Amino acid sequence: MKTRTDIKNIEWLSSLRKALAWSYRKLSSIETSVWLLSLLAISFMVGTIFPQGGDFDEYVKEGGRFVLLVEAFDLLAFFSSPLFLAIALLFVLNLVICTCERYKALFAKRRFPESFAPTKSFLVTQDAIRAHDETRRILNDSLGFRLVDKDSAWIVMEKGLPYRWLTWAYHAGLVVCLIGVLFTFLFAFEDTITLKTGSPQTVIPTTTGRVQYIWQNGSPQTDYHLLLDSFTTEYEESHELDYPDDRKARLAMGLGWKMPEHKMSVDPLFATDWKAKLKIIGGSSTLAEKEIEINEPLKYGGYTFYLMGFEQRLKLRVNDSFMPLDAKADDDVIIPGSMIALSLGTLRTGKAKRLDGTIDELTPYVTVKDSASKDEPAILKLNDSIIVDGNIVTLIGFTEQAILSYRYDPGVTILWIGGIIALVALFLRLYGSYYLLAYKVDDADAIVTVNFNITSKGLLASPEHIENRIEELLTAGDLKPLALPEQT
Amino acid sequence: MSYDVILSRDSFLLSVELRIFWAIALIYGASLLLHLVHIASRGALAGRAAYLLLWAAAVPHAGLILLRTFEAGRAPFQTLYESLSWFACSAVLTWLFVSRKWKGFFLPGALVSALALGASLYALLSRSPAIEPLSPPLQSWWFESHVILAFFSYAVFIVSASIEISWLAFRKRSDLYGLPEEQLKGFHDTAHRLILFGFPLLTFGIFSGAAWANEAWGRYWSWDPKETWSLITWTVFAVYLHSKTVPALKGTPASVFNILGFICMLMTFLGVNWLAKLLGIPSLHIYSV
Repeated sequence: MKTRTDIKNIEWLSSLRKALAWSYRKLSSIETSVWLLSLLAISFMVGTIFPQGGDFDEYVKEGGRFVLLVEAFDLLAFFSSPLFLAIALLFVLNLVICTCERYKALFAKRRFPESFAPTKSFLVTQDAIRAHDETRRILNDSLGFRLVDKDSAWIVMEKGLPYRWLTWAYHAGLVVCLIGVLFTFLFAFEDTITLKTGSPQTVIPTTTGRVQYIWQNGSPQTDYHLLLDSFTTEYEESHELDYPDDRKARLAMGLGWKMPEHKMSVDPLFATDWKAKLKIIGGSSTLAEKEIEINEPLKYGGYTFYLMGFEQRLKLRVNDSFMPLDAKADDDVIIPGSMIALSLGTLRTGKAKRLDGTIDELTPYVTVKDSASKDEPAILKLNDSIIVDGNIVTLIGFTEQAILSYRYDPGVTILWIGGIIALVALFLRLYGSYYLLAYKVDDADAIVTVNFNITSKGLLASPEHIENRIEELLTAGDLKPLALPEQT
Repeated sequence: MSYDVILSRDSFLLSVELRIFWAIALIYGASLLLHLVHIASRGALAGRAAYLLLWAAAVPHAGLILLRTFEAGRAPFQTLYESLSWFACSAVLTWLFVSRKWKGFFLPGALVSALALGASLYALLSRSPAIEPLSPPLQSWWFESHVILAFFSYAVFIVSASIEISWLAFRKRSDLYGLPEEQLKGFHDTAHRLILFGFPLLTFGIFSGAAWANEAWGRYWSWDPKETWSLITWTVFAVYLHSKTVPALKGTPASVFNILGFICMLMTFLGVNWLAKLLGIPSLHIYSV
């Protein structure tokens, strides 16, 4: 005898089971995918309308109009907010369930309709058995179709890439990609390090991944040193185009009333490359070395080291002072004894490819100008001087430091594997060709017809081509086919 | 060669390029005008003339892009001026290629010529045509593959949207514009087939962009506005492709998703620059702004 509590428990369990089954059914439907993808697209849009990583107080101070919404939904860090993560989680569940369902379907017995609507029919001059044998031979031997089903009156055959497997594979590839993204979210961290030529440094990350933070509260110091062996910059000389801002003047140029003019600026060099020769030193031996540049990082010990930029410091002597003035390139510096702030450009040193194709080694120089003036800058070469407000300023030296960012991200490899699977499968599925063909030989009142139903998948598939080939081969096989008008 | 000779040679080449580009923009404009006359009058002659003008503009436009590639010694889509030119030309060429199957039906050309004119005028009036050396982040083979495939997908999406809009607006009187009713379904299917063609290209474009960002910036995804809008575009086209398999959504709702995808694509290419500027959001894609 069941008690009232038992009955309530059973009812509760039954409701739960029903709710779970309903959720699973909903999450395995393509219609749900459409709504979830739409929701995801809208949430991505929200993330581009509000500056991500912005400060909430700053937003309020600047008179932000959606303060309540921004606070409630964490719109300034939307891509890590609970709302976005909940939508993303639902989408991932939908993707995973659909992928599992498709996987099960791959091994289930395929069911075909009892009857197909013919897309092409031929009247043939032979008896039904001969017509059947000949059609089967043509489809099998000459056109490469494989038998799929012959249970009903219609014989079903297929040819081409296994589109059902490919459809499953790119969905599975996307699931792998999302696992990679999850690994990045949980474990990745990054930091920067500034290296001076000849001074080895240990990599001590000041940040850590979300998971490492929980179990070790920080990232460990590496047991190797980074050494910047050399740092070089390459330049290309380029001219400047004197092009009007005014639209009428631009139109005049298009009409040939005015010519565009190129000219050389005071500092016509454009940095086309900077390279840092990097060594990984462990004890007294070199564990790895590489000349890194942008797009060419060094990978070692789970870390990837990227060249982000460089910092230049200039040594200026003002008059006969023994203490040189330390200044940062691309910045302003106040000259002692003067009211003028000197605006320094980037120090140019290294090789330059000139406009006429010649390459020369540069004498290091920097552009200088009065920061308040609109005049063209002057050039200050190494060991040369200029006079600033009555003071003699000499460039007596410089140092260069490479700014590296380094990153630990175990998600990248997983993401690439998933991405390659998804891309290859997607290209093959959408571009390749697949045919499903059903045929039936009819023998009514001694009139023999061969009926075909051809459907295809993929952009390269051409059912018309298959139909034409069948007609050609039936003719060659002495069936003297007569194509009947289309019945669809 | 002396510097004076180099400077005057480059000025001369640029002046030739600008004159040809203006002439091409003018022809795109004339084609648009004739397309509008065709829509209003239903006259086949205006439609044919508009179509021929697109040929007359697209061929020299392709030549102009080749000239710039030769002049710059690199792929011709480093600056927004170059990208806009490439965008206009590739859209028109794609339409001309696709339309050979629908000879005598010119309606989709209206949107294509309008976009080509808009992109050309934007390049000519608002951007500088200066040829600049390739900055270090762009010196990667990912740059060419990423941009070529992304722009190829854009061109395909433009033509698909043009077909979709023509279908939505004129499906009940398509025969008046030279498309018999029995061909209407096949014509509309072309929009779907074009998305099927463009979608893997866009997917590769996003994936290669992520791979490139990982090599150059050390991060494959930064939620940068341009990246995010490309993902929005991809998601909306994924919605479109999925809705084509749902009976209740495969008709007009799917067509609306296709057009929304096209709008998102325009946002990714151009709108995001405006949005980033308007909202003061910094973008890593500064070279395309």
